[in-house]
Amino acid sequence: MPKHQLLDNVSHKDLRIITEHRPEYGDTASYTAVFISELRDVQGHYPVFFRKNSETAQFEAIALFGFAEQENLYLDDMGWHASYIPLTIQRRPFLIGTQNVNADGIVTQQTVVHVDMNSPRISSSEGEGEAVFLPQGGQSPFLQGISSVLKTIDEGHQQTRAFIDVLLANDLIEAVNIKVQLDNGSQNELGGLYTLNEEKVAGLSGDTLMSLHQQGCVQHIHMILASMSNMTALIEKKNKQL
Amino acid sequence: MNKPVTKITIVGGGTAGWLTAGVIAAEHLTHSASGVEVTLVESPDVAPVGVGEGTWPTMRGTLKKMGISETDFFRECDASFKQGAKFAKWVSGDENDAYYHPLVLPQGYAEVNLVPFWQAQGENTSFADAVSFQGYLCEQGLAPKQNTTPEFAHVANYAYHLDAGKFSVFLQKHCTEKLGVKHVLDHVVAVNSASNDDIKSVSTKQHGDIHGDLFIDCTGFSALLIGKHYNIPFISKKHILFNDTALAVQVPYESADSAIASHTISTAQSAGWIWDIGLPTRRGVGHVFSSAHNSDEQAEQELRDYIRPSLGAKADDIPVRKISFEPGHRKIFWHKNCVAVGLAAGFLEPLEASALVLVELSAAMISEQLPPSRDVMDIVAKRFNEKFLYRWDRIIDFLKLHYVLTQRKDTQYWIDNCRQDTIPKDLAELLQLWRYESPWHRDFTQVDEVFPSASYQYVLYGMGFKTHSRATARRSDNAELAQFNFSKNKQLSKKLLAGLPTNRELINKIHQHGLQKI
Repeated sequence: MPKHQLLDNVSHKDLRIITEHRPEYGDTASYTAVFISELRDVQGHYPVFFRKNSETAQFEAIALFGFAEQENLYLDDMGWHASYIPLTIQRRPFLIGTQNVNADGIVTQQTVVHVDMNSPRISSSEGEGEAVFLPQGGQSPFLQGISSVLKTIDEGHQQTRAFIDVLLANDLIEAVNIKVQLDNGSQNELGGLYTLNEEKVAGLSGDTLMSLHQQGCVQHIHMILASMSNMTALIEKKNKQL
Repeated sequence: MNKPVTKITIVGGGTAGWLTAGVIAAEHLTHSASGVEVTLVESPDVAPVGVGEGTWPTMRGTLKKMGISETDFFRECDASFKQGAKFAKWVSGDENDAYYHPLVLPQGYAEVNLVPFWQAQGENTSFADAVSFQGYLCEQGLAPKQNTTPEFAHVANYAYHLDAGKFSVFLQKHCTEKLGVKHVLDHVVAVNSASNDDIKSVSTKQHGDIHGDLFIDCTGFSALLIGKHYNIPFISKKHILFNDTALAVQVPYESADSAIASHTISTAQSAGWIWDIGLPTRRGVGHVFSSAHNSDEQAEQELRDYIRPSLGAKADDIPVRKISFEPGHRKIFWHKNCVAVGLAAGFLEPLEASALVLVELSAAMISEQLPPSRDVMDIVAKRFNEKFLYRWDRIIDFLKLHYVLTQRKDTQYWIDNCRQDTIPKDLAELLQLWRYESPWHRDFTQVDEVFPSASYQYVLYGMGFKTHSRATARRSDNAELAQFNFSKNKQLSKKLLAGLPTNRELINKIHQHGLQKI
């Protein structure tokens, strides 16, 4: 059970975070949400799909790490084997929360930083991990980095949702059933994923294409299509584990 | 006579008028200049009767074809999922007497008839539970899909419960804003004939005469065109289906998160039955009964007794609305250039939610076979009349089936319902046949039957009907396949019970987040 707390430099003044990636520190899920602002980096390493959020059924873009639940083929005891790690992994164990702020009788919602105190990344020994606050209470460079990641995520939600809405409105997303045959002959099937319909993308009319281009979608569409070449690498990783 | 049909005038709004308008307008491109023009004239102060808060699964296809979003439909029509009906106290009248008529077909229905195998097992499990998982889902108040299931797609086949008043308004908006249907709010004061006895136009108070090549009568019980103008006789079916009065109430939930039943509950009474339909914001409950067998006062008492367990003393204060009707239908439905849809065509008690499905089927046939020219309209009219007389007869047979299998003898109503002279000949013959051979695909010959043979199975064997086993073996009686399907049903039941949200949870999520189209 996660235990979310509002981060502050009094109750968390000695908080240290383990930043290495190893299975015992979590991150073993087979996918994570990604945002169009990081797509250039993501598509170089991971296949990008769409998936319905199990809580809201809204589409989100994801980077795929494995073929079974809790299978992250990029992660082992030696670390995370890719030079880019998606923002929603980088942020851990921090997350964005909201807080009502009452200024002169006007209540506004402000985003704040929360920390999951039950995360295995919370360091229990003094010498281990990165300090969150400086001895005088200021933000450490580490926390400044995290804050910027969280800010990008916050903006990324809206941008990515708008992008997906454009894809849906143009009927460019379709369900895909991924069947992978491994070297040992076993068939692995992966359901619940959606991808771009390449034929429909290729068949877009000039006007639609222009409109998509003006909305900044064309580049992202091509990056997602290109990210499919990472499937071969992912299958190879799986075959090596057999 | 050789006049193209380009302009359709629908008289009367309500769900019948707007559904018909929507189905025709969507197919015949009413929004474009080259399409058929559709005008709906509706009296501003005639309140629709608002029958039929239950639909058939066909409504999903009907809405989808009209280009409606299921998410909008749920949000704006107070809609809920319906997975069938539970019939309580119809067999013996005892407290634990109940059976399900689910909407999913028996497992493996295309390949094997499970009835003889279920009977051979000693009927330890109810028929519905042995062959389908849906009764289990209903008992647990579960939804027929997940929030990640796309719009109109299902995990378990489903229909809807809805607020008919809101549904009309919703359809009106869609028809006028998206589909190009013209809406005239005015009183029809006269019906004007052409020389060939067709309807030439209807005169309105403020909008003058409204012409049409085809007129659709959706004026409800008043049957302005088919009845008052053309005097097409009404065929009463009261000698078969006795119920002619309904008392309806709206029952609030105890709290905002009370469970919403995902099936209609029909509970037999002394001289009729009570419907209980769960919408997200309220329950619609009503007592439909035979005025020849029960008084309004006694019927109202039975209705209040029914809602008392959930309402306590408040059960005596809830206002009751009375609706009287004559069960039956017009002798023909399409005459000259006028076709009746909805209550103007006829009405039967809402035991199997046949009202809206008949509207959908009528609208679909008018739309599919819309005569391009007046000189072939009589041919289409003849087909339409044949088809719908068949359909009304099958519905009447199927509704009567629920009564003739009762073992109740506690009131004259149930005794009278089993009298041979009240049972249609076709149904009596089928019942005789089914004593030796259970109903399956061969029994109903039309490709688009309102009730499939599976529905007859659910009612017959839910009510304890006995079919003798054949003395000789048949190759098609595949015991292995039957066992496979029984165990498959068990597995599916277990899987779905664990994987589906409650009806209330899913509806809340649809309100909050919506469903995806894919």
